[in-house]
Amino acid sequence: MSELPPIPRPEQRPLPPAGGPRKIVLPPHRQRAGRPFRVKAREWISRNLFPSLGGTILTLISAGFLGIMVVGILWFVFFDANWNVITANRWLLFAGSFPREEAWRLWTSIAVVMFLIGLAYGTWSSLGRRDTLFIVLTGAFVIFLMAHGGATIWSSIWFLVAIGLLYLGYYLTVWMPRETSPRRVWHQRIVGGLLALSLPLVLVILMVAGGANTRQFDGFVLNLILAPVGIVGGLVVAIPLALGRASNMRTIKWTCTAYIEVVRGAPLLGWLFVALFILDDVIGGDLIIRTMVVLAVFTGAYMAEYIRGGLQALPRGQYEAAQAVGLNQLQAMQLIVLPQALRISIPPIVGQAIAIWKDTTLVTIILTLRELKGNADSAIAQSEFIPDRIEAYVFVAVVFWVVAFMMSRISQRVERAQGIGER
Amino acid sequence: MRLPSLKGRRLFSAMLFAGAALIAGAVIGACTSDEDEQQAQATEQQQQQVMQQQQDQPQAQVSGEPRGDTVQLVKDRGVLKCGVKQTQPLFGFREPDGSVVGFDVDFCQAIAEAMEVDLELVDASDASTRFELLADGEIDVLIRTTTITASRDRELGVDFAQTTFYTGQGFAVHAGSGIESTADMGDKTICVQSGTTTEQNLADHFTDLGLSYTPLGGSDQETQDAFLAGRCDVWTADQSNLASRIGVLDNASEFVILGELISKEPLAPGVRDFDSEFKDVVNWVVHGLIAAEEMGITKANVAAMASNPPNTAVARLLGVSFEGGEVSTLGFDSVGAQFIQRAIAAVGNYGEIYENNVGDAVPRACSLNALASEDKSNCPPGTGGIQYALPYR
Repeated sequence: MSELPPIPRPEQRPLPPAGGPRKIVLPPHRQRAGRPFRVKAREWISRNLFPSLGGTILTLISAGFLGIMVVGILWFVFFDANWNVITANRWLLFAGSFPREEAWRLWTSIAVVMFLIGLAYGTWSSLGRRDTLFIVLTGAFVIFLMAHGGATIWSSIWFLVAIGLLYLGYYLTVWMPRETSPRRVWHQRIVGGLLALSLPLVLVILMVAGGANTRQFDGFVLNLILAPVGIVGGLVVAIPLALGRASNMRTIKWTCTAYIEVVRGAPLLGWLFVALFILDDVIGGDLIIRTMVVLAVFTGAYMAEYIRGGLQALPRGQYEAAQAVGLNQLQAMQLIVLPQALRISIPPIVGQAIAIWKDTTLVTIILTLRELKGNADSAIAQSEFIPDRIEAYVFVAVVFWVVAFMMSRISQRVERAQGIGER
Repeated sequence: MRLPSLKGRRLFSAMLFAGAALIAGAVIGACTSDEDEQQAQATEQQQQQVMQQQQDQPQAQVSGEPRGDTVQLVKDRGVLKCGVKQTQPLFGFREPDGSVVGFDVDFCQAIAEAMEVDLELVDASDASTRFELLADGEIDVLIRTTTITASRDRELGVDFAQTTFYTGQGFAVHAGSGIESTADMGDKTICVQSGTTTEQNLADHFTDLGLSYTPLGGSDQETQDAFLAGRCDVWTADQSNLASRIGVLDNASEFVILGELISKEPLAPGVRDFDSEFKDVVNWVVHGLIAAEEMGITKANVAAMASNPPNTAVARLLGVSFEGGEVSTLGFDSVGAQFIQRAIAAVGNYGEIYENNVGDAVPRACSLNALASEDKSNCPPGTGGIQYALPYR
């Protein structure tokens, strides 16, 4: 048996200069590498696009196709399309039957969520140039929509204030210590707790003291409420399920397996029918509550399997090491196993989150709830907009894409911050 | 904590067994003869009837299953749940401010006002679940361009009130296609909405003609899209629906709506079976609104008419005394004598509802929806209105 290699020690990180201006020092894996060398644009083009006769022809053909597509899209967007169907119906699409005089509750919720997003970015990541560009573009789009639709100037100001709050939250956290320290841990816990509480908080803002009732959640607001409930609720259901399925107590294991296989085996559409016609007699309650339960139960079954994947990917040594240092089961779970398993399962979990975000449109198809896509259908039933169907659907598609893209970007941030894929 | 060791073999054999059991069950189920199924259905229906009759009698609780006494249930709840379409031009759609409006919605409003309760409009846009919603108590009344048919009346646990809108199944074709009647439609592609009476009518009609065709199914709007994009030669739907969707297009002249109708499509409110109390209310609200038009009572003059009725018929309809005479509820004790008056005050008479919602999109004069008493001298032979209120006395 050969001698074991020496255990490599982590390199000492340079400490920030004492007394000087506080500078954020990124850990090494997040520092950007300088560009190794530069290539002149002209050289790059001739080498990659026109390397030979065949290559040149291919380039020209693809450029032609691309050009036709781009021109076609631009022509549609700027000349052909009648975007009045969107601007005139912006309230219907956004909130539908949400009482208009209570709209301040919506704006306040948006502001609170924006502030929390800012806090979260400041705590775990940083806002780069691309994020700013994204925020500016989205903000400009929303404000253009509101101004063009004839909304009062106050809605635009509200939205600007919300964006301002995002940056406020961000800059509030920037001066917090970046190095691991008890203070930072507390800071993270507070922000994490606020994030976890944000959904109930938003529901409280929307509903208490003469606010909306659940029947009035409508349009895009309904998507924005249902999807997080499905995702967060799904995670809450999934963790015990995954642990249960990986357990060696047979009853628990078989119960969890049965749950996962039964729920996963039927389509979401079928489960929504259950919410509409069967859960009515079982748990009662509002249709929207039943829908939330079904979304959480359904997402939970999928996420449980992803987390189990994470558990299985964890080397056995981790479990043994936890036992060796004298941790009991619960501590080992909490401190060693789950953090690593969850980190491994982030990519598929985010995939499922995006899937459930898009699946919220299903509630229109069979339930009596109306969300963004359903309200677009209603908007194009107005006599003056019957011909403008494509515009309405393009708009809905773009909105869904933007949110899904945001989710995907945020997950990439989380992955990078956790150092996934770099070890 | 141990990771699950792969006890693959035992699990696999268990799964195999379960799978085999499932397949065996499915095969046995499929082999059972249709007769058995029908018998099973019949006994189920009988059971349901017995159950419903039992529940008819005593209490109606707000939280309980809404069977039998919908009037009491709605009054206790203080809300009438009305199932409407939210994607149908003219009949049920949504305004930019989020409110639901349309021809059908006005009748919901009239019934709610007649019963002195609030109105909750529930989305019943989906054709395939609408009767389930009614049977399950998610809605109390279904006013959603629904055709009365015998099979629906008998088999789906639904009861229909007076027809609110008469239409028929018509056809739209591309101008210049040379198609002038269904006889020219052999081997053409026809867009038809799935899961509707329209689909069955079309199949029956072409069987009778001895012609074949290619159906292209989908939702209401999908079939419209397919037709406008030229993916089918013919688009069939209720003629009123065709007119409302084609009339507003910029290029409306590129399409022709044929005069031929192949079916009767009387659209009526539906209520749950075994509930004659509630059905009577819905039915007589509709008749009352038609009667109001016949008598010249409008939303604007209903208050004046009620305080000073010109004759006994008006007084009886509005539930007021005529020259100091007695007021009779005509048995409508649960909603009060003036329920029709309240409905008229809220939405106007039948003619006003038609004018406000449908208007010129589907011209009323000489159509089936005109009053039977209209002057038919200008109408083409064979046409003319049949709307006619039953005597309210």
